[in-house]
Amino acid sequence: MNSGASLITIFVGMVIINNMVLTKFLGLCPFFGVSKKLSNAISMGVAVTFVMLLAAIATSVIYSFILVPYNIEFMNIIIYILVIASLVQIVELIIRRTNIALYNALGIYLPLITTNCAVLGITLINASNNYSIVQSMVSAVGGGLGFTLVLIIMSGIREKLELGDTPKSLRGLPVAFITASLLALSFMGFSGLL
Amino acid sequence: MMPEETKNTNSRRFAKEILKGLVIANPVFVLVLGLCPTLAVTVSIDNALGMSAGVIFVLLGSNLIISMIRKITPQLARIPVYIVVIATFVTILSLVFEAYLPPLHESLGIYLPLIVVNCIILGRAEAFASKNTILLSIADAIGIGVGFALSMIIVSFFREILGTGKLTVFGKTLFSIPVLSSDPLAFFIMPPGAFLVLGLLLALFRWLGVLNNE
Amino acid sequence: MNENRQIHDKKIKKSSSCSEKIFGNRFYPLIFLTIIVFVSVSLVMVVNNMTRVKILAEKDAAIISQLKAIFTDTDDYEPKKDYYIAYRDKQVIGFAFVAKGKGYGGEINIFVGLNTDFTIEQIKILSNTETPGLGTKITEDSFTGQFKGLSFKDVSLSKDGGKIDAITGATISSKAVTDAVRKELEEKIEVIKSDMK
Repeated sequence: MNSGASLITIFVGMVIINNMVLTKFLGLCPFFGVSKKLSNAISMGVAVTFVMLLAAIATSVIYSFILVPYNIEFMNIIIYILVIASLVQIVELIIRRTNIALYNALGIYLPLITTNCAVLGITLINASNNYSIVQSMVSAVGGGLGFTLVLIIMSGIREKLELGDTPKSLRGLPVAFITASLLALSFMGFSGLL
Repeated sequence: MMPEETKNTNSRRFAKEILKGLVIANPVFVLVLGLCPTLAVTVSIDNALGMSAGVIFVLLGSNLIISMIRKITPQLARIPVYIVVIATFVTILSLVFEAYLPPLHESLGIYLPLIVVNCIILGRAEAFASKNTILLSIADAIGIGVGFALSMIIVSFFREILGTGKLTVFGKTLFSIPVLSSDPLAFFIMPPGAFLVLGLLLALFRWLGVLNNE
Repeated sequence: MNENRQIHDKKIKKSSSCSEKIFGNRFYPLIFLTIIVFVSVSLVMVVNNMTRVKILAEKDAAIISQLKAIFTDTDDYEPKKDYYIAYRDKQVIGFAFVAKGKGYGGEINIFVGLNTDFTIEQIKILSNTETPGLGTKITEDSFTGQFKGLSFKDVSLSKDGGKIDAITGATISSKAVTDAVRKELEEKIEVIKSDMK
């Protein structure tokens, strides 16, 4: 049974209303680790979005043509994580062979993506909402863009924050969390948009 | 004499590894790992306890197996091997929860399968279990696991009390604060509240640490 | 870390030529991974076989208890394609189905119970992601109780000419529930009627 949600609803929902980082807490490690510099944030966001899209396509095909027909939905965790790990390997290989500049820009982030909960998270969200393949793709791109958006906003704030005179015990991560809290609060203003 | 001494130092190291996870290398407050469940499921103590039990089970299982096969694991394929081992334990956990604790399985939702990508577990596999004996790896798992549970309980304690005005453990209301329970600060059980509580707790522990050092 | 392993590998190489054949093999990593995957899949299969009956029983019990929350004296049910028939002493006492509404914070799942004359017996909110303290008031009896006994044309907010009063401060959530119930009700009544013939 497909969920009847329209593509626009899914997309806007994933980008701002149910933002992966701010409401689902997915992809926090790169969020706090990488988000110190704007250029890194964009590269990371693009890489994650791309892998998320591929993973969403692969897993929703596997889900509806292998797991459901053979009644082995319980195997989904093992299969999904293996698919994501292999996808990341393949993408890394292709980028290294074809575009060395892009590889140098994204290279160090690619291995990290396997253990980025946003990627496994989006495949699980798609499965739990019974999204079709097209809906899954839209939700993956939306989720990835939402992740990138928040990463960029956060890196902008943190670049400024580095210059400020923060109390010693708040410096670094604690103040980043408090910033994230305010950011999440302001994003809540978008709920009810659809 | 010799075996006696080794046994003694062994048990001392065992205890040391357990204590390490609780305080010096507390996964959440010191290493700042495993944030996703720490923020997402800490809306209630019950959820936090369920999640912690799950993480301890998976951590124990994966540390045990990975340290057992550490000598025959090929260097090249080690990360995929670790991921498969961890995913196996998570799947078993998910099936057991679904069968015997369906309400918990429901309320943990996607965060239960997401234990697979919890940085704490893969991190311990790579940094500890892959180069230590079985016994020490178990100690490490217990220490880090209980340290994680402790942090989860602290965070959910504040969020549940402030966000609902009462404290409920396993369906029993321990206490409820008169004014707060009728007009709770719902902010704290919403996502922004999670970020704020964790940020302030991190700052608090750092401040305490600074006090201790000086 | 790498150094340790290299030293370790060297030790193995020195110790026996047999293990060198195994560990030095180019395909050893792949073979090892395959074995691990095979073992893990079998293990999961075993656990699944052990828990499957219990999981199905729990799901069944969950549906029964949801139905019992609406039809207090039901003792059996029959799952249809997208609704349930509730029985008491082998007599049909009502129907139930899930309606999905688009609320303020996301999807709201509503369990709707119908009497045999197609008026609403009761509704229950199964899950929602509304704002705690405001939108979550849709789960309270003061709101859901208003649906009792209504037929589908009365199910809309009072400002739209219906009989449901919206919750102050949570109009969107109230409207989401009301609209979802009405829409689903209209469809399901047709389905149930054609099935009963």
